[in-house]
Amino acid sequence: MVLELQKPRPIWQIMFSTHHTDVGLLYLITSLAFMFMGGALALLLRVELFSPGVQLIADSMTYNRIFTVHGTTLIFLFILPSASAFGNYLVPIMVRYKDMAYPKLNAVAFWMIPPAGALIWLGFADFTWYAYPTYSVISAPGPAADMWIFGLKILGISSILGAINFVVTIMKCKHPDLPLSKMPLLAWAYLTSSLITLVAVPTFAAALLMLLTDRLGASGFFNPAMGGDPIAYQHLFWFTFHPEVYILVIPAIGFMYEIFPRFSRKPIFSHSSGVFAFTLLAIVGFSSWAHHMYASGMSFTEKTVFMVGTLAAVPASAMHVFNFLATMWGGRIKFATPIMWAVGGIALFFSAGAGGVVNAAMPLDFMSHDTYWVVGHFHLFVMGTILFGTVGFVYYFFPYVTGRMYNEVMGKVHFILSFVGTVLVFFTQHILGLFGMPRRIYDYPAIPEWVQMNIIISIGAFIIGIGMAIFLVNLIWSSAKGKPADMDDPFELGGKYYFPYQAKNPSH
Amino acid sequence: MKVIIGFGLVLALLIVLPSVQNVMAAGDTPGEYLDRKELIWGLFYRLMIVAFTVGTVVSGMIVWLVLRFRESNPKAKPTSYEAEGNW
Amino acid sequence: MSGHSNWPEWIYVAVVIALMCYVGAEAWNVERLIEHVPEDAKLITVTGQQWLWTFEHEDGTKEIGELHLEKGEAYRFEIHSKDVIHSFNIHEYTVLMDAVPGRVNHVWFSPNVAGEFDIQCREYCGLIHYNMRGTLFVEDKGA
Repeated sequence: MVLELQKPRPIWQIMFSTHHTDVGLLYLITSLAFMFMGGALALLLRVELFSPGVQLIADSMTYNRIFTVHGTTLIFLFILPSASAFGNYLVPIMVRYKDMAYPKLNAVAFWMIPPAGALIWLGFADFTWYAYPTYSVISAPGPAADMWIFGLKILGISSILGAINFVVTIMKCKHPDLPLSKMPLLAWAYLTSSLITLVAVPTFAAALLMLLTDRLGASGFFNPAMGGDPIAYQHLFWFTFHPEVYILVIPAIGFMYEIFPRFSRKPIFSHSSGVFAFTLLAIVGFSSWAHHMYASGMSFTEKTVFMVGTLAAVPASAMHVFNFLATMWGGRIKFATPIMWAVGGIALFFSAGAGGVVNAAMPLDFMSHDTYWVVGHFHLFVMGTILFGTVGFVYYFFPYVTGRMYNEVMGKVHFILSFVGTVLVFFTQHILGLFGMPRRIYDYPAIPEWVQMNIIISIGAFIIGIGMAIFLVNLIWSSAKGKPADMDDPFELGGKYYFPYQAKNPSH
Repeated sequence: MKVIIGFGLVLALLIVLPSVQNVMAAGDTPGEYLDRKELIWGLFYRLMIVAFTVGTVVSGMIVWLVLRFRESNPKAKPTSYEAEGNW
Repeated sequence: MSGHSNWPEWIYVAVVIALMCYVGAEAWNVERLIEHVPEDAKLITVTGQQWLWTFEHEDGTKEIGELHLEKGEAYRFEIHSKDVIHSFNIHEYTVLMDAVPGRVNHVWFSPNVAGEFDIQCREYCGLIHYNMRGTLFVEDKGA
């Protein structure tokens, strides 16, 4: 327990600590704070989009800034740090080592996040989280744009340092009696996502530097007026960010690999399939990036190559779904809050993937590119799969961190509201996209179908918002006043864990 | 493995060949131009049928699993791993 | 290694791969068909800029924000941008192609229904991206 609120530790002890449990806790609190902040921005957007005309946001530039910071925050300041949070806490335990390989570097990597977050939020850039040139070079107002670039540079370095730490801890510091093939799948998730990070992220670091020098006028990499090519940025960006989506989803799937067997009271159906699927996904994930660029004027052959690369990643993801369902088969499942989130997450994962296959079919991209179909699709992944997996794991891990149980009824209500809201918002957005509504627009003409669907979507968003408010109350209240939990078996499932969740924190 | 690849190839060919005849017949004269919208949306509806069929199977499977193997189901019995106390 | 038989998983993976082959083959075929530009397609030069669309017909006629075409004819668009990336979109005819500065992109279609259709921009381009719209008028021949 690193956060026992009734016997508080001095705050500077946690802040200056290099112990993996404390760094994990710092990552967790930071990421959850940004989750609520980014989510609040989404609610602002949905109020404005409730119907045509001005509802709340007086001008389009403010709207554009809000959606840019919404996306940037939730990807870089919530999902990635929350994965790091649980990774830092659990990977040393899973490989039976005393801490991460480089504890001080670990703390440094965490402490890069608050200043980067400050840069992004104080700047509030408007050029979407992609920052495509030539808009980001010649038209996006500074200093917001430059602050965003610096913020992301810092976050990229933090990611790479974290990834190095995970890879070295797992590959070099693991206990000699533990073969890699017996390592828990959650550790495999961190290994594969860290390896992807190390290969993919430096490309974006280069692209960011080039974007900055372009903005300063010192270079013309992406500016045709100086002999450059804006499409080059898109290739560099998506070469990083397609594998990045796997970096985002793999830890969440890893969380589900902890939750499903635990609550089904039987081991995972096939450990080796899980390892194979993670590894295959990590490799094949690099072959599909330009499916984001189908409308940019690529040739038929190029598009075909990337379509094949995209479709090739589907069997690997599908193997995880099979593994989870086969694990539940024959089990005796206790449907506590964590596994409800995991099951909901898997159901939405499938829908997200199915929509993705449709996008991958080249001609269909002409229908769906940059419409709300895409928004619905990727949100089913980031919200439906990743957030559901992460929040489920937050509930699961709550007793180990705080020594107390969260309120189960509130947890289940949070799940139901989130699931209903997610379906209302993101499934409807698919249909809205089919009707042609572009994304990233501040206002829209009063086309009846668009208006009706936007109303449904905004209502769904507020349902999710209410669930999140309940979550916040549950987290805070239960940390301080929740029922003390049995640390050996907080969910009363019976049985022992195959590795102890309780780490020994030297200051505690 | 060969069976799977062969099956996939056969399936692909069975789909492609009838459509190839389509393009051989399509002309470049007014009135015979291919309708882009019809082709794209036709593909969309075909894929939606596949997606919803698979979706129904997967979702149905999840619902069944959740109901059948929940611990409050009258037919629920402990797993063999519970006896050992280790899973 | 798991000690139990894995044949359901192999069948499942085979089905997924077969479905992906089907999707890929179908998509490849449709894309091939729609990329074939008819030889007699008339050229329309489209220029996107912040935040309006302008068009120029083969005979030099220019239009701003509006495009008048004839039903049943084939038209191919050469799409330019003067400043940032935009995306030329006539959703009701499923026409979509980015307007990238420093590059010319191509797309063709043949309008077969008369009427008025929306033209919109489908790539974020700044302040008035949301209202970078136009109208396509498809008129019967000889009208």
